[in-house]
Amino acid sequence: MSAYQISIVSIIGINVILAVSLNMISGFCGQISLGHAAFFGAGAYAAAVVMVGTASVPLAIVAALVAGSLLGIVVGFASLRVRTDFLAVTTIGVNFLFIGFVRKQAWLGGEMGISGIPATGLGAAGNMIMILLFAAATIALSLYISRSWMGFAFRAVGEDEGAAATIGINAAAYKLAAFGIGTALAGLAGGLYAFFTQFITADAFDFILSVTLMAMVVIGGIGSTWGVVVGAAALTLLPEAIRFVNDYRLLVYGGLLVLVIRLVPGGLAALAQNVLLRVRRS
Amino acid sequence: MSGALRLDDVAMSFGGVQAVAGVSFAVDTGDFVGLIGPNGAGKTTLIRIMAGLLRPDRGRVALAGRDVTGEGTAARVRRGLALTHQIVRPFREMTVLDNVVLAAGYRHTSSPLRALLHVDRRDESERSAAILAQVGLAGTERKLAGSLPLGQMKRLEVARALAVDPKVILLDEPLAGLNHTEATKQVETISQVHMRGITVVLVEHNLEEVMRICRRLIVLNNGAVIGDGEPRAIMANPVVHDAYVGSGRATHADA
Amino acid sequence: MYYVDLAVTGISFGCMYAMMAVGLTLVYGLLRILHVAHAAVFALGAYITVLAANAIGSLALGFLASVVVTPIFGMAIYRLLYEPLLKYRPDVPMIASVGLLVLMQDAFRIVFGEQGITFRHNPLSFTTFNVSGITVSAVQIAIIVAAAVVFAGLHVFTTRTRIGIGWRATVSRPQIAASFGIDPIKVRYLNFAIGSALAALAGGLVGLLNNFVDPGIGFVVSYKALAIIVLGGLGSVRGTLVASLVLGLVEAYGTIFIGAWLDRDAIAFLALIVMLMIRPQGFTGARTA
Repeated sequence: MSAYQISIVSIIGINVILAVSLNMISGFCGQISLGHAAFFGAGAYAAAVVMVGTASVPLAIVAALVAGSLLGIVVGFASLRVRTDFLAVTTIGVNFLFIGFVRKQAWLGGEMGISGIPATGLGAAGNMIMILLFAAATIALSLYISRSWMGFAFRAVGEDEGAAATIGINAAAYKLAAFGIGTALAGLAGGLYAFFTQFITADAFDFILSVTLMAMVVIGGIGSTWGVVVGAAALTLLPEAIRFVNDYRLLVYGGLLVLVIRLVPGGLAALAQNVLLRVRRS
Repeated sequence: MSGALRLDDVAMSFGGVQAVAGVSFAVDTGDFVGLIGPNGAGKTTLIRIMAGLLRPDRGRVALAGRDVTGEGTAARVRRGLALTHQIVRPFREMTVLDNVVLAAGYRHTSSPLRALLHVDRRDESERSAAILAQVGLAGTERKLAGSLPLGQMKRLEVARALAVDPKVILLDEPLAGLNHTEATKQVETISQVHMRGITVVLVEHNLEEVMRICRRLIVLNNGAVIGDGEPRAIMANPVVHDAYVGSGRATHADA
Repeated sequence: MYYVDLAVTGISFGCMYAMMAVGLTLVYGLLRILHVAHAAVFALGAYITVLAANAIGSLALGFLASVVVTPIFGMAIYRLLYEPLLKYRPDVPMIASVGLLVLMQDAFRIVFGEQGITFRHNPLSFTTFNVSGITVSAVQIAIIVAAAVVFAGLHVFTTRTRIGIGWRATVSRPQIAASFGIDPIKVRYLNFAIGSALAALAGGLVGLLNNFVDPGIGFVVSYKALAIIVLGGLGSVRGTLVASLVLGLVEAYGTIFIGAWLDRDAIAFLALIVMLMIRPQGFTGARTA
């Protein structure tokens, strides 16, 4: 594989982890989160700081997971206090708070970010394999959760918290669980990203990225693990494959998001299901 | 004496209006109680307090002797309470069967961690199919809950309530919006529920049916209990009459 | 006198936020949708103001053109994007709105260029007045005056004219209004038209203030406006006005105290999140449960 191909596959892997984890929060549990980039960033920064300090990959990964989920649980608690509409705005705000805070911290590199992050020692190909393994694990976890009673309860909470309570489901606990797991994985993706680029700045983890991630989830099919995987891969490859898309990236992402919601709200997964149904009938 | 459900001096006001004013009563295991009263008497507020949807300004709610005043609905459900809503709330995007299965799995969903560790649904599916047959919804399992007509949705609510193995069921206007045939069916279902030994407390406007099936009527007016006893005696009571006719002349002191 | 200068800055920014945020709260109050794409309306207003002013040679006509044309865009968003999505839960049109914003932002970049555009003749831009030690710029005065005029006018409109009263009635009690024969659809268009006109005005004024309009002009203000309408109590115009002014002042003074560890633009969100923790219903409380 060429260096370019390794790089692309690595990014796809990271985006898959991000999209699948966002799908757990917003798709399975119905909590619309437009702040996913912040958890990604928290993980990246945690890993970067640990790598610069100790060059220990396992420690950096743990730090990334913890940073992501700590921030996520804080936001999760916020989600308990506020109504759905407020939640969306709060998660948008998390992006700004994260960047606004990090840019001012000298120990986090301030506006310059953190550069020269030590390499993992696995080489580019080794990093890619590590990323793919984690991506596979994330997909497996997502599929498992979906089939388990947790996924079942998530769906109830996402649809109607009050009704969920009348069958003994503590909505608050489940929302926290969704945020905790989803954001831990986003943090993990952040750590892997720090290993990959060896240089991070706060501005990379902005609201636009959160929107892009949500676009991957919606276009792939909100609620569907495999749909979201395809969505992530597609939106990562599209700019690479089509020059036009690369120049007008946000135009295309925004446009696709709008079109999909307007015409096929269930995303690619819904389209695939329709096709399958028609094939079965004929 | 503890009893299945007990209210002690429960009171609640909204923005200066006293909705419930010091209500106390005890419901024994196996009772079949109808909570009645004219519009605005405080019945809905009271049932919501019993369900854990509202926290009273003062007073205690106890289930099987245990004080649950501070606990939310989900916790009370796990202690043996079940409830159905006046305006039905099925999980519309799920199938009829899944609605009941999720309820039947209440032990697995008691905490997210527990839920994460359990996948198998076969037992719950069997139980749920049986419950659906009992309430007369056999054959609708695969339909989306949102596509059912109202009468069937109300029966689904009862099925869901049964699935959590309750000791006490609260029914908020179970006959509202139903035509005569559907209402009769629903009444039958509720009677069967009671015959299994489950304590039933229901709020209902349809006095005719309520008279037929309830063993005990508690009458509310202006947030206070103005009558409590056997249906025929209650309906003959002039105080209750006045409350319904709305003369407003009968007061608590006169009873 | 520095503190008074800051007060003037705070109030002028507050006025601008208010003009931007009112449109947002109007849409939420009527349709329960978070009209995130409102930022694109704001940006479009700014662009049209500059382009029209440059083409015609008159600042006033530039503003006029913007205030007349931008609402068409705002109403189109309702008709083409939101109306078909009203049957879904409110998250759905909101996400579509977010997508539209991102798309429009990039479209502005492609059509008008990354570098941004400026007014060719801007008589007000660098004019400042010095009143007993207080420095005030002409544009700041223009903003405050514009806001005062606009909101006074809005008040008169909604309390003295038939259309205005009908509009207010529909926003607060849709069912009753319908039974009085008021057409709810027309009210929706009016809602978007007025909100968009206000945003366009705000956009033009911001362009005037900085003498510069670039694709990103809408971004930060839009998110602040979202925070503002939540703080003010979703759907409440009065709450929004109060919250806007408060935020403007808090930002102006806040940077002195918190500027060391938090970006100015993040202050709005810090305030929002702190507020939501203490009082989840917002300043004045949400209209309905």
